[in-house]
Amino acid sequence: MNLSFFDQFASPSLMGIPLVIIAMMFPTLMLPSQDNRWITNRLSSIQSWLIHMITKQLMIPLNKKGHKWSLILMSLMMLLLSINLLGLLPYTFTPTTQLSMNMALALPLWMATLLTGLRNQPSISLGHLLPEGTPTLLIPALILIETTSLLIRPLALGVRLTANLTAGHLLIQLISTATVALLPSMPTVSILTSLILLLLTMLEIAVAMIQAYVFVLLLSLYLQENI
Amino acid sequence: ILHSRPLHTTQQRSAPLPPLPEKGGEVRHGLIPEEFFQFLYPKTGVTGPYMLGTGLLLYLLSKEIYVINHETVAAACILSIIIYGVKKYGADVAAFADKLNEEKIAKMAAVKNEAIKDLETAIEEEKKEQWRVEGRRYLFDAKRNNIAMLLEANYRERLLMVYNEVKKRLDYQVAMQNLKRQKEQDHMIQWVEKNVIQSITPQQQKESIAKCILDLKALSKSAQAAV
Repeated sequence: MNLSFFDQFASPSLMGIPLVIIAMMFPTLMLPSQDNRWITNRLSSIQSWLIHMITKQLMIPLNKKGHKWSLILMSLMMLLLSINLLGLLPYTFTPTTQLSMNMALALPLWMATLLTGLRNQPSISLGHLLPEGTPTLLIPALILIETTSLLIRPLALGVRLTANLTAGHLLIQLISTATVALLPSMPTVSILTSLILLLLTMLEIAVAMIQAYVFVLLLSLYLQENI
Repeated sequence: ILHSRPLHTTQQRSAPLPPLPEKGGEVRHGLIPEEFFQFLYPKTGVTGPYMLGTGLLLYLLSKEIYVINHETVAAACILSIIIYGVKKYGADVAAFADKLNEEKIAKMAAVKNEAIKDLETAIEEEKKEQWRVEGRRYLFDAKRNNIAMLLEANYRERLLMVYNEVKKRLDYQVAMQNLKRQKEQDHMIQWVEKNVIQSITPQQQKESIAKCILDLKALSKSAQAAV
């Protein structure tokens, strides 16, 4: 199979049957589900410890009403983490490289935080549009700027995730192509390039985890302002 | 951590779950179960599975069923990183997971031991109380003596009080009588003196004085100073 650079970003299909739904669901199926056991096996123990730790980290700044969001935010976090990390394996399709999926995640969640704020405490929510202590003359301009920044948030969330992952995957592809192409003619340069690839892969692993975390963290921050 | 109870189609069993096996299945090279090697052992001996693997790989490569492209290099990188990570930190992570479970069990065991200790102390206390019961006879005797003494002392006190009160009343009567007698005497003396002085008329006074002078002269004649 001769792969072009577009193949890893193409929506997977097997003989005309679209597999994208399976591609999105599969990573979460790898995680063990909670049993009724008191003492679980190692993987389940580590998973629950990890989820506890992250939930505490994310939910401490929120007030009691915000804790209702912990389920969806933690599930989102585990989804993104598993999808991102599994996408680093060869010949896999990473759903989060598609802008459509990321926007589908970011826009409704951001809108939910906005509407919660506008419904429950409209003046405070709108009051966030003007930072404290601004000079009187700047107020109109600043409100316009803050509104723009507010409306651009979902776009930023989606595009941030997409761009980071797509760029990372593309870089891996390009540098490995360079390594393969240089192998017959200049093996030493090829080896240097493969070292770069090694470092890049480590960076990509970090980026995968960080991007998932940042997505959820920003959502929780937007929630903090509005709940 | 989603409980997928709504997705269950059959009846849920509420019987206790079977215990987890102590160790996972035996695995060689981290991927291939040991049963596979045992399965091939009777026919092909120890080197069987390895020959199968090498042959399969060479077949795929030579027939270009698996094409070496840029993904191969990327695969080599990520797999080497994963294998390095697992080999270096695998044991630590397993120990950590075991520690999490150990801590859980230890907490419960601590509660149980505390309860056992408390009950043992309670048994000791109870035995001591039973020993104390045997000595209660002496206790009651001493108490009885105490009370008898108190009653006696109280009775004597009251006797004394009665005696004092009666004496006070009798003394009062005696003093009254004495006073009365005294007053009567004084009054009588005064009355007699008054009357005597009244009864001495002036003429009687002159006669008595003259008689006194005559008596004195007569006495002076007889009683010459013995010079």
